Amino acid sequence: MSVDTEEQSRSTSRDEALAELERDWGERPSLRGWFSTVDHKRIGRRYMVTAGIFFILAGTDAMILRTQLARPNATLLSPEMYDQLFTMHGTAMIFLFSTPMFFGFGNFLVPLLIGARDMAFPRLNAFGYWVFVCAGTVMFTSQLVGRAPDGGWFGYVPLTDTPYSTGVNLDVYSLGLLFLGVSTTAGAINFIVTVVKMRAPGMSLNRMPLFVWAIVGTSFMVIFALPALNLANAMLFLDRRFGAHFFDPGHGGSTLLWQHLFWIFGHPDVYIIVMPALGIVSAVLPAFCRRGVVAYPLMVLAIVTISIISFGVWVHHMFATGLPQLSYSFFSAASTLITIPSGIQIFAWLFTMLRGRIVVRTPFLFVVGFIVTFVLGGFTGVMFAITAFDQQVTDSYFVVAHFHYVLFGGAVFPMLAGIYFWLPKFTGRMYAERLSRWAFWLVFLGFNTTFMPMHVSGLLGMPRRIYTYPGGLGWDIWNLISTVGAYILAVGLLLVLIGVVHAVRRGAPAPDDPWQGDTLEWGTTSPPRPYNFAPVPQVHSLHPMWDERTTGALAIDEPLPDHRAMTTSELDGREEGVIEMPEASLLPLAVAAGILVVVLGLLWAWYWTGWYWFAGAGALLIFGAVARWLWPPERTPEEAGVAS
Amino acid sequence: MPTQTRRAGGFLLWFAVLGGALAWTVHLFVAWGVDELTCRAGNTSVGGVPVRGIVGAGVAVPALVTIAALLLAWRGWRRATAAKRDDDSPRMERTGMLLLIGLCADVLFLAIILAGGAAVLVLSPCQ
Ligand code: HEM
Ligand SMILES: [Cu+2]
Repeated sequence: MSVDTEEQSRSTSRDEALAELERDWGERPSLRGWFSTVDHKRIGRRYMVTAGIFFILAGTDAMILRTQLARPNATLLSPEMYDQLFTMHGTAMIFLFSTPMFFGFGNFLVPLLIGARDMAFPRLNAFGYWVFVCAGTVMFTSQLVGRAPDGGWFGYVPLTDTPYSTGVNLDVYSLGLLFLGVSTTAGAINFIVTVVKMRAPGMSLNRMPLFVWAIVGTSFMVIFALPALNLANAMLFLDRRFGAHFFDPGHGGSTLLWQHLFWIFGHPDVYIIVMPALGIVSAVLPAFCRRGVVAYPLMVLAIVTISIISFGVWVHHMFATGLPQLSYSFFSAASTLITIPSGIQIFAWLFTMLRGRIVVRTPFLFVVGFIVTFVLGGFTGVMFAITAFDQQVTDSYFVVAHFHYVLFGGAVFPMLAGIYFWLPKFTGRMYAERLSRWAFWLVFLGFNTTFMPMHVSGLLGMPRRIYTYPGGLGWDIWNLISTVGAYILAVGLLLVLIGVVHAVRRGAPAPDDPWQGDTLEWGTTSPPRPYNFAPVPQVHSLHPMWDERTTGALAIDEPLPDHRAMTTSELDGREEGVIEMPEASLLPLAVAAGILVVVLGLLWAWYWTGWYWFAGAGALLIFGAVARWLWPPERTPEEAGVAS
Repeated sequence: MPTQTRRAGGFLLWFAVLGGALAWTVHLFVAWGVDELTCRAGNTSVGGVPVRGIVGAGVAVPALVTIAALLLAWRGWRRATAAKRDDDSPRMERTGMLLLIGLCADVLFLAIILAGGAAVLVLSPCQ
């Protein structure tokens, strides 16, 4: 009898506490609420949807390119249009799709995976998203009006500098990427602080999921690599608009400088794109192999060493620039040996499959598709290390084939695996298995039909970045096959989209843990409540959801209401304190809008020289909004909690 | 015992884990920078010391530092695994994992330094 009432009062107090949590963390369902939200899950989803839209746009560009190239002497596109299309396709796929898509995954998942209530800086997070949307919109709008960048995605000077590139096109490139860099940097800092300070109690470094390791490694790479790109673009803009001569050898500048700066960023960027994808693979496999990824410390080793070594190999993109042989050797050694950590990961996954009990579902199929394509891409990559071969195929379609195997295989396949895998968490709905298998097979077949023939046309001498070609060189048939493949691929990707929309609209409601996953996100509802976890989980192992102690505690503990979050120690995840989390706010949007005004002002000033004042107005807006943002809150220390 | 644990988390631990990476970074920039800059300037020596000597030192010193980090990581890892047997605190687990990672990383970085440096014996610096 007394036990019964005790039980009853406990459950009512729990319900009350939950309602209070809901009030503390929930959002107003108004338009204002929509624009001011700082919830990491919403921001994560928005990142993914927006990056998805940019993928569709950049993919449409690719389809137009492929259509033009299907037959010799085609006239669908003018050479100028072709330049803009391939440049926007490459630039958007790299900057507006891959990285933001992974930031979406990271934003949604990292706090859930480490058992936190939000990111460390929720407003910075919202800010990063708004900046990304604005930058992407500016860049794609330039394409609509025929003023898109046209110097290739790596924008080599002197081609992209005055006097060789007139028009505003390359200003869109330099300013657009600078703009975007703000977003990426903010996001990276946020990930690092979140993971370092907000892991659930007990999650020491050796219990951190591999996906989280991958996001941290990626964020460090972003922070060290992006300044080089930003610097290069700022210099290019100064050269083009204000008569500076950074890249002009005629006035003591250097064209090689662009290549150094660009590739100091550019090589790590390949890993910035691929690393989170590898993290997704390591997250998906355990659920479908029913065991953890083997050799956890070696996997972490691979992530850490790749993040470091990728910074010491940029000169391998410059082997044709005439540096002394001896200097090359330092870069070749690192370039060759970086394959060891990559290989470790591949073998660890294969062993995980060998020693696990495999359940074949769509996410698993995409992982297998990834391994196949990525290994093929790595294989042709090793072929480039043979200098004589490299000289033969440089700037041919062989290269286009190679980097799509790496980028599409290494980023898009894992992404699709991740989308199907976490769809229940993202949306609270299950996808339809049959439809998704069709999608997989069409994507896989379409992909290989598109890019495999490019190896051949490349070996037959077809250069990249040509808008058309004469018939009878032996290239016709291979190009036709490529184009047919591209359409098959597009149908497959369309099925993915239909599958996602279908799931959101009428998918079966998802259980909390449909795959018996091992990490904390499966320990909360699908989709998670605004506060993520009612009782903050206590972690005891690397696979908390396979660990009785965690799952038990998640079910019974009293929730801790309040709009606060816990901080823990960097290495061992010991409890340290409690911080007040910021409320939803329109300020992040306002600052992003200010930057947008600055960028537009600088761009328009190309047509109307007086328009620099407009950029100045934007700067004022930024200044005002930032000042308001940083203004100390008018609250008593008790109200503000420990944070003050 | 407390001093033992504190030291396990201190400077030496991080040197054992990241020393190889640091040494390789220094090696890369010194060896490449010196070679590149002196050759570009048309010289074969810097302040009277031949380029090859300086580049050679830029290989040898970082290699030795990496070996030191490697030995430290090895010793620490053995201790951590031994200590884990009678004290399975998360902290010991974490130290053990970090040192294992450091051990492998130091081997990898040593290999990179030596592989790149081997060319110093074969090629003349400004070829
Ligand atoms: C949707 C399927 C895709 C198709 C059909 C496709 C097709 C193409 C084609 C035909 C080119 C060569 C243009 C030329 O050199 O004439 C190209 C270039 C390129 N693609 Fe893709 N692509 C696809 C997806 C992707 C993805 C997912 C990425 C990256 C994540 C990507 C990154 C690039 C890059 C960086 C270039 C080089 C642009 C340049 O030369 O400046 N592509 N693509
Ligand atoms: Cu590279």
